[in-house]
Amino acid sequence: MKKLKNFLLSIVVISSLTSCSKNDDHPVANNITLHFSNMFKNKAIVLGDANSSTATVNTSAEGQTHHFSELKYVISNIRLIKADGNEFPYHINDLDKGATVVDHSKTPTLDFVLTNIPAGEYRQIRFGLGVKQELNTLDEVRFPNFYAAAGANDTEMHWEWGTGYRFTKLEGFWDLDKKELSIHTGSTIQGTEGEFTQGVDAYRDITLDLSTQAIVGKNSPKITIVADFDKLLSGKTNTLILGPGNATPSVHTAVEMVKFVDNLGGDGTSDMTGMFSIGGVEN
Amino acid sequence: MKNVLGALAVMYLLLLSCNQEEEMTPVLPHNPEIELDIPAAFPPMNPSVEANKPTKFGVELGKKLFNETMFSANNSISCASCHQQPKAFADGRARAVGIYDRAGLRNTPPIQNMAFMKFYNWDGNLLQLEKQPLVPIITHEEMGSSISEVVTKLSAVPEYRELFAIVFGKGGITPERIYQSISQYEYTLISADSKYDRIQRGEGDTFTESEKRGLHLFEQKCAGCHSTALFTDQTFRNVGFPVNPDRDEAGRARVTGDPSDYMSFRVPSLRNVEHTAPYGSFGQFQTLRAVLDYFDKGVIAADNLDPILKENGNRIPLTESEKKDMIAFLKTLSDSNFISK
Repeated sequence: MKKLKNFLLSIVVISSLTSCSKNDDHPVANNITLHFSNMFKNKAIVLGDANSSTATVNTSAEGQTHHFSELKYVISNIRLIKADGNEFPYHINDLDKGATVVDHSKTPTLDFVLTNIPAGEYRQIRFGLGVKQELNTLDEVRFPNFYAAAGANDTEMHWEWGTGYRFTKLEGFWDLDKKELSIHTGSTIQGTEGEFTQGVDAYRDITLDLSTQAIVGKNSPKITIVADFDKLLSGKTNTLILGPGNATPSVHTAVEMVKFVDNLGGDGTSDMTGMFSIGGVEN
Repeated sequence: MKNVLGALAVMYLLLLSCNQEEEMTPVLPHNPEIELDIPAAFPPMNPSVEANKPTKFGVELGKKLFNETMFSANNSISCASCHQQPKAFADGRARAVGIYDRAGLRNTPPIQNMAFMKFYNWDGNLLQLEKQPLVPIITHEEMGSSISEVVTKLSAVPEYRELFAIVFGKGGITPERIYQSISQYEYTLISADSKYDRIQRGEGDTFTESEKRGLHLFEQKCAGCHSTALFTDQTFRNVGFPVNPDRDEAGRARVTGDPSDYMSFRVPSLRNVEHTAPYGSFGQFQTLRAVLDYFDKGVIAADNLDPILKENGNRIPLTESEKKDMIAFLKTLSDSNFISK
């Protein structure tokens, strides 16, 4: 009898162990890696100072040459849309977990790993270029990690007077004599809806259809998001000419900023992609 | 038996200490609202005052914080370093100076009658006074710190912990409570007791002949912008003053993105103007005389130059004696009680 009991017991134990490993074959969640690929048309961007011979030089539609020494932008409010249309929000109210500063000079920041994504097939990704208004308050206590990452000396993505974050920070040089190029974008909105409101909304929501569905499950897919900075000046919305009034558009000023914002992030109505496109999906 | 006695002794001591703890818990004083003395004919208050009414200890705490150098990264400057009471809470410099002598973008504006303002700062970037204190705390050229750093420093001081508890109850020291108490203090900084005000109220003072002529000139030539009991209509205008060479400057356009707001600034209040030199968004003019001379000679042309100037040959002409009378009148807007402790 004892022998039978032991035998039955060992069958139960073994089958429970094997059923565990069966579950490992079909995980309920896995990661998705977003890889940001910053380009000038079909050339990968190489940063450089004024006299750099290795920096990638781009020529705009109006024939103006330019290259970057700094390239940073904020991505947040990420939502993944399944094949069946259901939307999975990724920590959209938590800048510490759900937002990132993509800094072209720091290669690790070009990959943003989304964790614990429910298994399934995804056909579309939506995200924000910048920080949505409700969270754009430089609240250090609420989101200390994002605040610190954005505010670090080598990053400088705080917009103090606007009590918000910089959404993009582009520094570089243009024209043969390497004039300074400095373009920062951010929102200056104040006031509550229904009352007096003022300011410019520089946040843009991007919608990208995945060329191939991303399948989360046994594998963890990698989605390459291309950011084509040729669109900065030669955008779908605006063709811009750099000049004394806008190349360093009073660095923190909103006057010329919106034109750059519409080029980079779309105009929010007819153009929902701006400079972004899907470079590929690896499952 | 010994064990029982011992146990009873311990229990008795515990009960005693419990009672002692209860006796040692301080009873926090009552924190009544302060009634603001609202001057006649002042514009309506900003709605934010209703949500953050000054209280006795809120104002006391706010004033203490206003003078607290721990707000700056190197503990060298406080709000009061740039906002000095004898200068109607301006600082007598062309541009503000922060920690390590870092130069700011603009002239420090005075702090007076904030409760009645719709916009704050030269470009009106903020609509709520409670949102302002964070800006100098984190700005590199001002205090160069962070709100978390300030909270940590304040939390180490028992007097602050107690004051915050009196004003706000449980929950300790938080960023919002810091902004609210500073704002409560600033709401009490009301200036409406100048010679001009006393004459308006019929309290026996009279204008000199020169001041009277100045008043009439003011009504003809200045009150188009410097109107209401605040001596500002709180609009934003480009009046063709010398332009700030700092490329960060775009005036109100920095906020609205509207090219027609380029280099437009909020019409400053002229109350206590005698004490708030230099004048202009980055202290372009050392004296009131210099301002009037500039308007008289002619201002810098611009597409969006204010119509009041554009339609009048880009100038406000004044004779030598008119300028003297104007300045005499402007000095009657000084409130000596407001600038002294």
